[in-house]
Amino acid sequence: MAKFILRRLLLMLLTMFLVSVAVFTITTAAPGNVARNVLGIQITAEQEASFLAQNGLDKPMYERYLYWLVGTDWKAAGKVGLPLRQITTPDGFKEWWAVDKDGTLIQWRLESDNLIVRQRQPDGKVIEKTDNARWQVKDPAVEAVRLEKYRAELPRNTQLTEADRQAILQAADQILEILRGKDQSQSALLAALAEPEGTLDALRDPNAPKEKQSLQKAAGDVASNDTLIEAIAVYQRLSSPSASELNLSDLQFMAGQLNRASAKLHDVDAGSAAKLQQAYESLKAGDARAASTTLASLVPTLEQLTGNLGDLTDALQNGNYQAAVNVLRDLGDSAKTPFDAAQLTVLPGSLQAMANAIDDADPKLGDPLLQGVKSLKAGKADDARKAFGQAADVLSGIGPVIARTDAAGQARVGRTFWGIDVQNHAVRWETGSGTEVWVFIQGTGWKAFTGGPMEYIPLQKGLLRGDPGISLRTGRPVADLLFLRLRNSLVLAGTAFVVVMPLALILGIIAGLNEGKSLDRLLSIGGMMFSVTPEFATGIFLILIFAFWLKLVPGATVFGEKAPWTKPEMLILPVMTLALEELGYVLRITRASIVEVMKAPYIRTAFLKGLPYWRVVLKHALRNALMAPITVIMLHVNWLLGGIVVVEVIFGYPGLGSYLLDSAMFKDFNAIEAGAMILVVVAVATQLLADIIYTFINPRIRYA
Amino acid sequence: MAVAEQSVQAVTRPSLWQRAWGGLAVLFASKIAVIGLIIVLFWIVVAILAPVLTPYSSTAQDYKAQNSPPSAAHILGTDDLGRDIWSRLIYGARVVLVMLPVGEHFWLPVGTAIWGVLLGLLIGSTLGLMGGYLGGWIDEVVMRLLDAMMAFPVILLYMIIIAAVGASATNVVLAIAIVGTPGIARLVRSLALDIRTRDYIRAAELRGENPFYIMFIEILPNARGPIIIDAMLRVGYAIFAMGTLGFLGLGLPPPSPDWGSMVAAGRRYILSGSPWAAIWPSLAIASLVVGLNLLADGLREESLRYQ
Repeated sequence: MAKFILRRLLLMLLTMFLVSVAVFTITTAAPGNVARNVLGIQITAEQEASFLAQNGLDKPMYERYLYWLVGTDWKAAGKVGLPLRQITTPDGFKEWWAVDKDGTLIQWRLESDNLIVRQRQPDGKVIEKTDNARWQVKDPAVEAVRLEKYRAELPRNTQLTEADRQAILQAADQILEILRGKDQSQSALLAALAEPEGTLDALRDPNAPKEKQSLQKAAGDVASNDTLIEAIAVYQRLSSPSASELNLSDLQFMAGQLNRASAKLHDVDAGSAAKLQQAYESLKAGDARAASTTLASLVPTLEQLTGNLGDLTDALQNGNYQAAVNVLRDLGDSAKTPFDAAQLTVLPGSLQAMANAIDDADPKLGDPLLQGVKSLKAGKADDARKAFGQAADVLSGIGPVIARTDAAGQARVGRTFWGIDVQNHAVRWETGSGTEVWVFIQGTGWKAFTGGPMEYIPLQKGLLRGDPGISLRTGRPVADLLFLRLRNSLVLAGTAFVVVMPLALILGIIAGLNEGKSLDRLLSIGGMMFSVTPEFATGIFLILIFAFWLKLVPGATVFGEKAPWTKPEMLILPVMTLALEELGYVLRITRASIVEVMKAPYIRTAFLKGLPYWRVVLKHALRNALMAPITVIMLHVNWLLGGIVVVEVIFGYPGLGSYLLDSAMFKDFNAIEAGAMILVVVAVATQLLADIIYTFINPRIRYA
Repeated sequence: MAVAEQSVQAVTRPSLWQRAWGGLAVLFASKIAVIGLIIVLFWIVVAILAPVLTPYSSTAQDYKAQNSPPSAAHILGTDDLGRDIWSRLIYGARVVLVMLPVGEHFWLPVGTAIWGVLLGLLIGSTLGLMGGYLGGWIDEVVMRLLDAMMAFPVILLYMIIIAAVGASATNVVLAIAIVGTPGIARLVRSLALDIRTRDYIRAAELRGENPFYIMFIEILPNARGPIIIDAMLRVGYAIFAMGTLGFLGLGLPPPSPDWGSMVAAGRRYILSGSPWAAIWPSLAIASLVVGLNLLADGLREESLRYQ
């Protein structure tokens, strides 16, 4: 017996392994894209790659399977060089921290080029400090090649002043020499690099990177908020060589932008508005070429109307500050910008948005801009011109500092560091590598950084240690929600089981004892009809009868945060649907079993002995007759699970089945895999249980 | 025994007509089977004659009559997009029973559900025959694979397969076939294990026939009885499965008339007072599966009686 169970358990493990590989392979190899499901269809390729990397989906399949099974923390601990620990915060969030040599829990984050360590105190507070000592110099050979290339590009950088350029070139030459030197140990490199990098650091303004980002953001805000600038951008896209790659939905989207621009211009410049409308019609019909020709004649007017704000935003986004200064100077030049009536109606609105955004980032530059807008609105063109001239002066002071800081930063040797970030990843950070990384920041959206996180290992303990990872759909651990849903499903299935079993067994016995009579016909055909009708049809009929016509019970389940048993009236219809489905099946098996047993010679003997009918049935027949149904019911659990999914969908019941369906539709890998394993364990375990029960109650097998 | 009698009497084989008549006689002996047959034939006939039986196409929308109750113009009413429910029902029956849409303008005769079962039969009987006849490590590997497939809850297998390959009629066929394979393979294996001990197999082996000839020409035809009855029940399961997949949004892609997805779309309007779009397809699928099961049940009962 023990041997039999052991053998079955081993086989179950083998089966589960096969199933887990199969589930993993199918879901992973499936076409479709989880990044698009999570972030929407408008994400760019870089953003998609970054999302996949942050969730560990960019790694080869066998590696992901291994991590899914046994976790990643051990591997990450090796990379970081410190042990890792998962803690649960008082709010119930699970967080990963590294354990420093003195026992404090630490995480890191990157702020421009500075590594900040976050030390968690015993009371849960976090102290932050700069921790640049942990950086490691990147591979000198690789860095030398990169630096050489960068050095060659430097003379072409028009944003730099000549003095800055010379200083940076000189430092870069020194660094290159060190990188090609003989002693390439970390300590020697760091010591040697201190001097030239000190020179570079002196050229850098610590506020500049932040300022650069804020200006970029402000420009981006305006570019995506101002409909006229958008219209110019539409023309640029349509006339660019890549226009042929635009698909119909892109064109429709752009048509919408033109339509809005046209509406805005309507009162200002009816002629241009009509032309825009015409371009909109062509685009909507999918004729990009016609729209492009119409727009071509419009663009100078639009550029004039917007005071070349489009160029300004482009320049700020690309870091071309000289061009931006020129645009501002033009605004301050009465010959170039006359501030006529049309301009005065359009321009202040666009400028206001930009001035506000810039003012948030940099009041020095924002104040004169705001002042200019105010004067424009008051109709004082001369005051406005003066203010814009001031803004140009300020920007011409800021621009070179940003450019210098940028250039000096890139001339430094790249550093790298494996640490734990605040979002439960092990991350390889880099500085000064010159590669762009897209990072999603809560509240601000996607941002491109030079350097920063280059490689992620999402931290998880692995299925074998009870942690199936993070749900891509909700961003929360799968295990939390999964068990809640499993409990709800068990409540549903359990109630149905308790309701249906006695009923089905009794009806089955009655049918079996009346074999061939009309009562038997009625019961078995009726039972069959219920069990073969799909659950969704049965559910619809029940909703119609009990919720729609009789209005006795609710036709859907709404539990919110509450447990299902707190609202028993909502359980009635789901339980009934499941029960009807099972009723026929169990009834027919019981009936067949009774019919067979009643024909056995020992029952005839019992009758011939003159025993009363009910005594024969209850004492002699039942015990043997119920053996088959009880075990077969166990084997039927597999089928029942299918019914549960459908019933949960019909009634909106928050159970495991609907969770799995949603996850499957969303391609939420971790959730499907974990849910599938639970279902498989339930199915296989009940089969095992059925075998064991059968062996126990049937002596013929036990002693065989 | 049957073999011995035949060799003694050397009877002539009954003609095809006589055998068919014998089968029909069995069928007509059972009232239940006849009722089942009528229901199934009804659906097959309306499915074949669909273009004649309705003036509407299955996708034509009428914005002036949305969710309307049965009337003279629309005998079963219309759905939420104003499409005629009767047309959608009978075109839906076509997809299930008489044609399998493969591409946009291309379809195969014989319905989606039946193709699924046929494909399952092909894969399942090949695996079952290999396991049962060849035995040894092949049997061991095949059985472990089948065990793993059986351990999958059926619905999960459907969801994962469709989520992986996308929703279309061909993929539904594929899913039905894959899900049906282990059951068929087990049945065929058990039959093969029995039949391979017969003398005519021994004789074929002595003749030096190739194992595949023995598997497909000697064993399979002799195991056809139980396989055919099993397959009939499986067509019922397949229709059940198609409906469920459609209901869960994993069936045929939207505008095509699919009973399950019709119910899924219609059920949203039940509580707001227009239950027709959900009632009719539910009734349709219920009647078809019940009819098929009545037919299979009646046949099995009658054929058992004469054994």
